[in-house]
Amino acid sequence: MIDTKVHNKNMAHGGVRNLNYFSNAYAAAVSAVDPDAGNGELCIKVPSELWKHVDELKVLKIHINFSLDQPKGGLHFVVPSVEGSMAERGAHVFSCGYQNSTRFWFPCVDSYSELCTWKLEFTVDAAMVAVSNGDLVETVYTHDMRKKTFHYMLTIPTAASNISLAIGPFEILVDPYMHEVTHFCLPQLLPLLKHTTSYLHEVFEFYEEILTCRYPYSCFKTVFIDEAYVEVAAYASMSIFSTNLLHSAMIIDETPLTRRCLAQSLAQQFFGCFISRMSWSDEWVLKGISGYIYGLWMKKTFGVNEYRHWIKEELDKIVAYELKTGGVLLHPIFGGGKEKDNPASHLHFSIKHPHTLSWEYYTMFQCKAHLVMRLIENRISMEFMLQVFNKLLSLASTASSQKFQSHMWSQMLVSTSGFLKSISNVSGKDIQPLIKQWVDQSGVVKFYGSFAFNRKRNVLELEIKQDYTSPGTQKYVGPLKVTVQELDGSFNHTLQIEENSLKHDIPCHSKSRRNKKKKIPLMNGEEVDMDLSAMDADSPLLWIRIDPDMSVLRKVEFEQADFMWQYQLRYERDVVAQQESILALEKFPTPASRLALTDILEQEQCFYRVRMSACFCLAKIANSMVSTWTGPPAMKSLFTRMFCCKTCPNIVKTNNFMSFQSYFLQKTMPVAMALLRDVHNLCPKEVLTFILDLIKYNDNRKNKFSDNYYRAEMIDALANSVTPAVSVNNEVRTLDNLNPDVRLILEEITRFLNMEKLLPSYRHTITVSCLRAIRVLQKNGHVPSDPALFKSYAEYGHFVDIRIAALEAVVDYTKVDRSYEELQWLLNMIQNDPVPYVRHKILNMLTKNPPFTKNMESPLCNEALVDQLWKLMNSGTSHDWRLRCGAVDLYFTLFGLSRPSCLPLPELGLVLNLKEKKAVLNPTIIPEAIAGNQEAAVNPSSHAQLVGFQNPEDDHLAKEASCNISAHQQGVKRKADTPLGSPLEPGQILEKNEDSSKVKLKIRFSNSQDEEEIDMDTVHDSQAFISHHLNMLERPSTPGLSKYRPASSRSALIPQHSSGCDGTPTTKPQWSMELARKGTGKEQSPLEMSMHPVATAPLSVFTKESTSSKHSDHHHHHHHEHKKKKKKHKHKHKHKHKHDSKDKDKEPFAFSSPASGSEISVNILILEMRKPLSSSFSHDQFPLIFISHSDLFLELL
Amino acid sequence: MADTATTAGAGGSGTRSGSKQSTNPADNYHLARRRTLQVVVSSLLTEAGFESAEKASVETLTEMLQSCFNVDTLPAYAKRSQRMVITAPPVTNQPVTPKALTAGQNRPHPPHIPSHFPEFPDPHTYIKTPTYREPVSDYQVLREKAASQRRDVERALTRFMAKTGETQSLFKDDVSTFPLIAARPFTIPYLTALLPSELEMQQMEETDSSEQDEQTDTENLPLHISTDDSGAEKENTSVLQQNPSLSGSRNGEENVIDNPYLRPVKKPKIRRKK
Repeated sequence: MIDTKVHNKNMAHGGVRNLNYFSNAYAAAVSAVDPDAGNGELCIKVPSELWKHVDELKVLKIHINFSLDQPKGGLHFVVPSVEGSMAERGAHVFSCGYQNSTRFWFPCVDSYSELCTWKLEFTVDAAMVAVSNGDLVETVYTHDMRKKTFHYMLTIPTAASNISLAIGPFEILVDPYMHEVTHFCLPQLLPLLKHTTSYLHEVFEFYEEILTCRYPYSCFKTVFIDEAYVEVAAYASMSIFSTNLLHSAMIIDETPLTRRCLAQSLAQQFFGCFISRMSWSDEWVLKGISGYIYGLWMKKTFGVNEYRHWIKEELDKIVAYELKTGGVLLHPIFGGGKEKDNPASHLHFSIKHPHTLSWEYYTMFQCKAHLVMRLIENRISMEFMLQVFNKLLSLASTASSQKFQSHMWSQMLVSTSGFLKSISNVSGKDIQPLIKQWVDQSGVVKFYGSFAFNRKRNVLELEIKQDYTSPGTQKYVGPLKVTVQELDGSFNHTLQIEENSLKHDIPCHSKSRRNKKKKIPLMNGEEVDMDLSAMDADSPLLWIRIDPDMSVLRKVEFEQADFMWQYQLRYERDVVAQQESILALEKFPTPASRLALTDILEQEQCFYRVRMSACFCLAKIANSMVSTWTGPPAMKSLFTRMFCCKTCPNIVKTNNFMSFQSYFLQKTMPVAMALLRDVHNLCPKEVLTFILDLIKYNDNRKNKFSDNYYRAEMIDALANSVTPAVSVNNEVRTLDNLNPDVRLILEEITRFLNMEKLLPSYRHTITVSCLRAIRVLQKNGHVPSDPALFKSYAEYGHFVDIRIAALEAVVDYTKVDRSYEELQWLLNMIQNDPVPYVRHKILNMLTKNPPFTKNMESPLCNEALVDQLWKLMNSGTSHDWRLRCGAVDLYFTLFGLSRPSCLPLPELGLVLNLKEKKAVLNPTIIPEAIAGNQEAAVNPSSHAQLVGFQNPEDDHLAKEASCNISAHQQGVKRKADTPLGSPLEPGQILEKNEDSSKVKLKIRFSNSQDEEEIDMDTVHDSQAFISHHLNMLERPSTPGLSKYRPASSRSALIPQHSSGCDGTPTTKPQWSMELARKGTGKEQSPLEMSMHPVATAPLSVFTKESTSSKHSDHHHHHHHEHKKKKKKHKHKHKHKHKHDSKDKDKEPFAFSSPASGSEISVNILILEMRKPLSSSFSHDQFPLIFISHSDLFLELL
Repeated sequence: MADTATTAGAGGSGTRSGSKQSTNPADNYHLARRRTLQVVVSSLLTEAGFESAEKASVETLTEMLQSCFNVDTLPAYAKRSQRMVITAPPVTNQPVTPKALTAGQNRPHPPHIPSHFPEFPDPHTYIKTPTYREPVSDYQVLREKAASQRRDVERALTRFMAKTGETQSLFKDDVSTFPLIAARPFTIPYLTALLPSELEMQQMEETDSSEQDEQTDTENLPLHISTDDSGAEKENTSVLQQNPSLSGSRNGEENVIDNPYLRPVKKPKIRRKK
């Protein structure tokens, strides 16, 4: 152990601010509080007096009184600053978060595998509606008639992580087709809500039909809220959507997107909410199934073309991501737990937990999951697939109705093995190889194909190579389908890809039948006439496709002649094949390619998305052929023919968007045309005039639909036409030397942008396009580069799309101009913006378009920035997993895995550190006993914000955490700014401190001599802080969990409710491992707890349960007999603006919104949490795990 | 005060001099009205053959006339043969019709209209004269015109807004060529972003108002029927009721739907008996 420590110490001196170090520590910290593993932050020691109750299998009840004061995460308040009451202002609040984040707003076993039934009560202002899970049993006024209480009952066992809440002055719409479905939206939006949800019943119908299973809950609610964390969030019997998905009947583009969101959320109701998962490594099954049935819905709703196109898109995405980052693993198994076995060592984060994942990785994970589900379907047939789903659902619904046999409830949890067993039972097929390839292992396949036709043998010699050495790739062995279109018809061949076989001979059918003028049969049975003059006279091959059904997760680079691609584009009916050939034709800028593309463009039967991509390909080809191009600019005459008036070809017809295909084409063609360039690499004047005319003559008066997206794309087209300014001597950009074309463009942009202020367009699409166009003009040197305009549009209060567009421009400016000021401005916004999505998005955009990267010299790359980001990762983002992982991504992009190069030389740092902190860093100050026995108590500091700051010992501690058991942990006591020497009044809730940013950094210890204040803002201080703790741990008086408070002072706090917990300041050793054991039966042991919103709460405490505990063994066999055991959790939320520190039990629970003066009152009462049932759970562990992102105050009363 | 008013009024209107010009125009009006009514009553009495009447009875009849005046029967009554024409109230100054502009013969008053009433307008005002100015049949010109008109209006409007309000500029040296109306945050940004503008609403109503109405109406009627029929069974059925029937009024029907969110809020005492 000492060795490790020393080693770590050395590492850390060089390694502080090293991302590898952070990621390990963070993963350890998350592990340490992982609810799936029975860990958590709040551990409740069962007093020894009650052990016999436990042995007798009696019910223990625990009350946890807590208040939530200005939460930064978990619940999001939207409080517009206008006059009027909260309801008039449209103020609302909703729960949000990524994965299991329910503990952010009430103490719970925040695991998807701990199911129980729920009774929820919410007392809210009479003008508000509280929407939550399950059935609304009744609504009752409070005595003063000013508030009402919503009583919810959820009888289907549900994990706490699937519990949600939304409160606001919602307008209520009962679905006209299904009365048990209710929709909620913010005031004034009811007409939009009606239209948007009018389609939902069809989705219900579809899923119920294919799954041959009723929707599992007795009701369903959709809530549309502002400032959404994600567009779609599914919870038990309710889904929370972004209000920006609402649209009127006039909007074309948003309609399919919104419907997709609705369908997605509904799929997750079945798989994700009703059926939950056993553990994180089974997540892929749920995401896979819900994504897969959503895909089936897409196929039915939007057609096979759209579906195949989507699959191809998703496949391309996952392939690109895996090749870039090195792989996505669906089913991570963590056996040894050693670092070397880390299945994701190529990544800069751990994939052991959902909360350590990069957001992008998680998105790709979901994408891969449904693609793999589709592969399974390919293997076992859709019929069996649906049978498997039906089986899972029926088992779950049988189990869910077993009210008093909670052990049955495990049927409601899906595991990888259970799922695979179902598949093999139902289909009788062994899909193990498939699972091994795509689920248990990461990586995609990269094929390179080429061929030669052997005329003598009349054989196609196909060579298929694989690259399986590059990161993110894997070797594929198995069948591979190849489709060959010959003159005689289309033939499928299944090749066996084996270790060393590269070449495959495929016999061809037709010899010299090109003279007979016969129609050529296609794969779908259709027979067509083809002009065969382009093809090779000796070969019967028209085109070849490798893996046409996308039954391998692969990328194929296939070489065939240009005419073959052209035939494929013209005659192959599969949209994926068409798309592939369009991509390939970019490399063949010939008149023949041009003709093939133009023909496709004109063909109305052709899928509109194919035609749209043909536009862009045509523009590229035209640019490559610029010197030989004849006739008008590409697509111009086509557009004129399709969309302009017969009599006056320069004037576009008045808008009529009834045919959506033409609409999309009409929108896209000018955007693609604007990419055309003449020999001087300028956009041809003719094209610019053409686009300006389109804008000028645009007339939407007779149109049934809004033209906002169309106009926005016209602005995009204008932006596309901009080419770099010719600059003489770096002259300053002024109005006088403005290019006349640019002047015209600017004129349009100005007018559009100004008109938006008077007649805003839906979702402000036009403003968004204008902002982007202005940035393009700046970047190309036509307009002075200046972020001021964008910064004003990025402010809070603008519509989110506008903000994101403006922020994107600022991010770009930061990069191009290397502006330190703007980078600081962005970082500031990341920390302080009220909207979580915007904060996430800024990080995301900075990562995608970084101001510099790890191998780049940049004036921006300095120590201060490293410190800032490091701090952000560690402490600034503790309330939002997604944000923290975003910060990690950015740090990785900027500095890489190892020590940022801009930091001073490690040696120097070491010296300095040692000089300043010698006493602290020196590992010898920690007595061995403590290190062995108690360090786990210090550290397992769930909150990596601390871990990150900590010195090497800490890292060590974090690692050791899992195998160390604190001997004394008993109760958590964490509080800020409360002198521990002066005990609080019983039941006192700690007062919210005004200067919260400072408060959170101060922790005082009564047993430290001088009540030293610890400032976590600096590393040095945090080190001091750690050492402090270590010192404290030496003191034997430190009571178990409340190690920050001597037992004496703690018990001073417990005079009243003494029976429960206070009598056990000293613990028997054997029990020390089962701290969080269970509540008390007759006696209550109310804990008063308040979550403090301050971000940097540097400390958190947790206990690690040892599964090897004797007692846990001892009790294990009782487990299933604990049927009737109930846990009663009583949570009351009560919002009060002014937090009265003297206020106690009556209204112990407080939410308060960030906006001062806000008065949304919330009352939560959770009764009857039934006994959790997962088999891993032994009742020695009280299933109450609580992690706060912020300061956690826990008082034993 | 009243006296001075009388003398002042005497010069202007002869017989109506009785109507004292009160300081209050409303009083003035009431006085005049009452006097006219009295004249009417008197003339009716004369018509009926009375030679004299007591003041009190005239007052009573006037009151009656005032309170039970039936407009519907008036035209027929006005056209009765032996009616008595009340002398015209003298007009202060007759409107002088400019002779040069008269054309044709004005229609004479029908017999039941007293002659002192104003004359009918000139005959040409009754004639619909469709004017066929050289019609702009050229589609191109029309579109051109509409486009430039709209553009001019938009430009003028936005420039005006820009001039009168705060602006932002893309060029440091110039604020007037491309003035951008300054970005102003909204308190509730989603409302403007999502709700159709008034202009669009108008358009929408014009294009497919009927469809919309049908949709909203269908929503409620089926509920009516189904709730009446199925009662207790309802909770369990997730069958979709597609009901094509139309019409049905909006109000009150939602109350019939058995949805927990539509149920009335209970009084507190029920809850308190824990």
